[in-house]
Amino acid sequence: MHEAKNSLGIILFPAFDWSISPTHPEREERLLYTQDQLMEEGLFDIEGVDEHKPGVATREDVERAHFCFPEVEAVATRSHLVAAGGTITAADLVMTGRHKRAFALVRPPGHHAMKVVHGSRGFCSINTEAVMIEHLREKYGVKRIAVVDTDCHHGDGTQDIYWHDPDVLFISLHQDGRTLYPGTGFPTDCGGPGALGRTINIPLPPGTGDEGYLMVMQRIVLPILRDFNPELVINSAGQDNHFTDPITNMNLTAQGYAHMTELLAPDIAVLEGGYAIQGALPYVNLGIALSLAGLDYSGVREPAYDAVKHGQRPQLAEYIERLCDTIPDVYFHPPKEPADGFVSGDWFVRHKNIYYDTDGITEAQTEELYLCGACRGLLKIISRTTKNPACLGIEIPLHACDACRSLGYSIYEEAQVKEGFRYAQFINRRDKEYVRHGF
Amino acid sequence: MYLGIDVGGTHTDAVALSEAGIAAQVKVKTDHADLLASVNQALAGILKTVSPKDVRQLNLSTTLSTNAIVQGTTEDVGMLVIPGPGIGADEFMLCRDYFVLPGAIDHRGSETDRLDEGAARSAIEACRAKGVRVFGCVGKFSTRNPLHENTLGQLLGQKGAPTADGGSDFVTLGHELGGRLNFPRRLATAYFNCAVWRVFNAFASAVEKSLADLGLAHVRVNTLKADGGTFPLAQARRMPVQSIFSGPAASVMGIIALCDITRDSVILDIGGTTTDIAVFVDGQPLVENDGIHIGSHPTLVRALKVRSIGIGGDSALNVLADAVRVGPNRLGPSLADSVPAGAGLPAGARPTLIDALNATGACSHGNVDASRRGLAEFAALHSIRPEVLAASAVEAASEAIYKATQELLSEINDKPVYTIHELLEGRRVAPGRVYLMGGPASAMKEAVRQRFELFTVVPEHFEVANAIGAALTRNTASLELFADTERGVMFIPALRHRENVPRTYSLEDAKRDAMNHMLGHLSEMGVFADRDNAQITHATSFNMVDEGRTTGRNIRVKCQIKPGVAFVLTGTSAGGR
Repeated sequence: MHEAKNSLGIILFPAFDWSISPTHPEREERLLYTQDQLMEEGLFDIEGVDEHKPGVATREDVERAHFCFPEVEAVATRSHLVAAGGTITAADLVMTGRHKRAFALVRPPGHHAMKVVHGSRGFCSINTEAVMIEHLREKYGVKRIAVVDTDCHHGDGTQDIYWHDPDVLFISLHQDGRTLYPGTGFPTDCGGPGALGRTINIPLPPGTGDEGYLMVMQRIVLPILRDFNPELVINSAGQDNHFTDPITNMNLTAQGYAHMTELLAPDIAVLEGGYAIQGALPYVNLGIALSLAGLDYSGVREPAYDAVKHGQRPQLAEYIERLCDTIPDVYFHPPKEPADGFVSGDWFVRHKNIYYDTDGITEAQTEELYLCGACRGLLKIISRTTKNPACLGIEIPLHACDACRSLGYSIYEEAQVKEGFRYAQFINRRDKEYVRHGF
Repeated sequence: MYLGIDVGGTHTDAVALSEAGIAAQVKVKTDHADLLASVNQALAGILKTVSPKDVRQLNLSTTLSTNAIVQGTTEDVGMLVIPGPGIGADEFMLCRDYFVLPGAIDHRGSETDRLDEGAARSAIEACRAKGVRVFGCVGKFSTRNPLHENTLGQLLGQKGAPTADGGSDFVTLGHELGGRLNFPRRLATAYFNCAVWRVFNAFASAVEKSLADLGLAHVRVNTLKADGGTFPLAQARRMPVQSIFSGPAASVMGIIALCDITRDSVILDIGGTTTDIAVFVDGQPLVENDGIHIGSHPTLVRALKVRSIGIGGDSALNVLADAVRVGPNRLGPSLADSVPAGAGLPAGARPTLIDALNATGACSHGNVDASRRGLAEFAALHSIRPEVLAASAVEAASEAIYKATQELLSEINDKPVYTIHELLEGRRVAPGRVYLMGGPASAMKEAVRQRFELFTVVPEHFEVANAIGAALTRNTASLELFADTERGVMFIPALRHRENVPRTYSLEDAKRDAMNHMLGHLSEMGVFADRDNAQITHATSFNMVDEGRTTGRNIRVKCQIKPGVAFVLTGTSAGGR
């Protein structure tokens, strides 16, 4: 019997009793065939590969990453809390040294969930990676983290949460926003004033195959990672860039995925999207798991694969090469000013309109960051939606300076007395204080 | 009258009993070179007081298959393997005559690549040229669709039917081993089933002949399995691999026969070399999620969840720094057993746990004086007071047993679950009682009670609990049903039953079919199975959706006959009532 080179912990939580609706892509059946494949392959009998039970994320775990309006329980179902809890378990397995790497095969996904959550968008309500990252910081004091999002859709939620955070490098590879939901993720979007170049967007043309993805890995992602030198690399391992995916247009194969994973060598991988549940997921997940464990994945091949049909068109290579020439500059020579937002007094202000496609909610949001020289700065968000009237979120960041801390308290108190916010959430990361108001 | 024989590593135990109690019990030394002789000797001993015509049933637990594997007296097997895409089959090469064939079935049971029959024919030819007579055919996802395995079966001339090129003595098709998904385990299980087939069948025939000679030809013979059940000898002849490692199960079932267990409990069988730990949930023994390992190979053979640790009555005492430990190595029998009364101690005598128990006064087994002297000598060697050494050793043994039990419990409580319901409603196993058996059971009772802080019971007849368990264990059976209503197919791999079902086929239909097929199969084999003991252990139905439309249901059902005993002996005394 063979043995894993890298010991690997897998959290397989298929949530066999949860769906968005009976025929929705995000339904009970989604990980059924993946589980069948992993079981039939005897993956968990391999020395060094173990399956673990997911934990359940608490309200506090979620509030470290999100402002939830009206409250966590209203936007997150139990399945969301288990998916987030499963990623936390994955992080614990790695941090405690139980395993070298971990793979959280959980659903529903999370990378479209932004800092403010009123409901579900892009099938996501709770950003599982963000919940995990904030857990890593809180519990283990991990500072520098890189998130590489290989889901076919732009990871706009993760981008939003870490927009102002220079210690979290967010790199998203996705099908060009001009051709796919959510329609964002262009190279010019590269982070807030204090974190320019710490958000890297790589929009790829429809039809990109193994060749293109591997080129981007080698020429953009890996050099940036080497320079950033994070303590942990997290892969948001969406699998909807597979050539059989019903809602996207890419040409990646199971072999390509496994190879990409080998290059990236993430400490923790978290499943995101991927809806070709029969023809792709069983093989892609197997490929990723074997690759993470350092095992031979050369035999993993989806039945529908056709080398000619699923190859990458030659013209695309040229286009992608141009991306490879220009995008590293976003990290190595970021612009002086952010593309979006403006400075007003001591505050940096962004206006955002956000549509929650899954729940049909429209949100108008004003995000203000206090431009503090001493710490990351107090965050204040005012949000109005078709579902909830005016909501206020205040966050005193981890390692906040005394000034930002007292400013946070005074704004929150003032808001309770004067302004007409229906719901307010106050998060003090420095003193671990989580308060809600307005019920 | 029920007969039970447990051929163990050291002793062969036999009992004859009825609801009135134990009518006869025999203990003989096991002759590993000739297990049949041990069985015959035990039978003869029983028949001294029991009339052959009163005996209705014989249940036999034997180490035969295990020994054959350990001693390497198995025969060469031709393995025909169809791995399809995924982890390659070269990783699992179990034997010399191992052939990987092109072909593939996917997780839904669709044929995604045809079986290369030409390659199969030349593989078979190569095996036959070397004189290989038994074959295992195993494909990935054959439990979803057995097409390729069946084709290989036909090429080989199954069930000994002669084919043009000479036929085969025995063929195991992977899907017959049950519906569980795990290709490497299916491979290993098929291999071992073939490898011990001839040895087991020769033994089965010899036992049947002995029974006829002893006037027991009318007796129904069952074989014990590791899952706490029995199956008829006729079936064991086809699935000998299931008879492996039945020893611990015999003991666990013995406890069920001797005590009325109704809640979460811990069972400790303290033997000479090892202590077997089992856990009961709501009075039911737990079955291992995965099958047992044979050698280093995980298999599909179901077993009761039993954890063995290297601590027993004959485990030697160690002193490391100031810490006293017991086991895990065994250095021969205890001084109490090995030193004749009045004789001096051998040089460098090493006391064991039994000697320590003799010294603390917990028991008076064999030569108590030798134990005391041995302990005093060993204590002096390490500058400890003998009574401290004895007490610490007993404490260390119960501590180690306690720790292993806690580990087993947390493993049970941490097992992965797949639905939110299971996760949030997950009930934790919290034992309220400890049952002790095996040689040093009575002597260890107080130490165990103190460490576990639980009500501790040592049942009557605990010294032959294994044979009692063997005698009274009921038949068990289990099967998996898989249905795909988009394809209109229902398949029960273990029974090789495949039929067409309408699109309206539901989870309820599947549950009913699974139960009926299981009970029907048992009655075909002449086994009476009470419907009350049959249970559905897993039932799921998934809507399959394609392009926003529901195309069918993917249904999986598992059912089993619960492990149990024919009747319970509680309250009877040694002589019966």
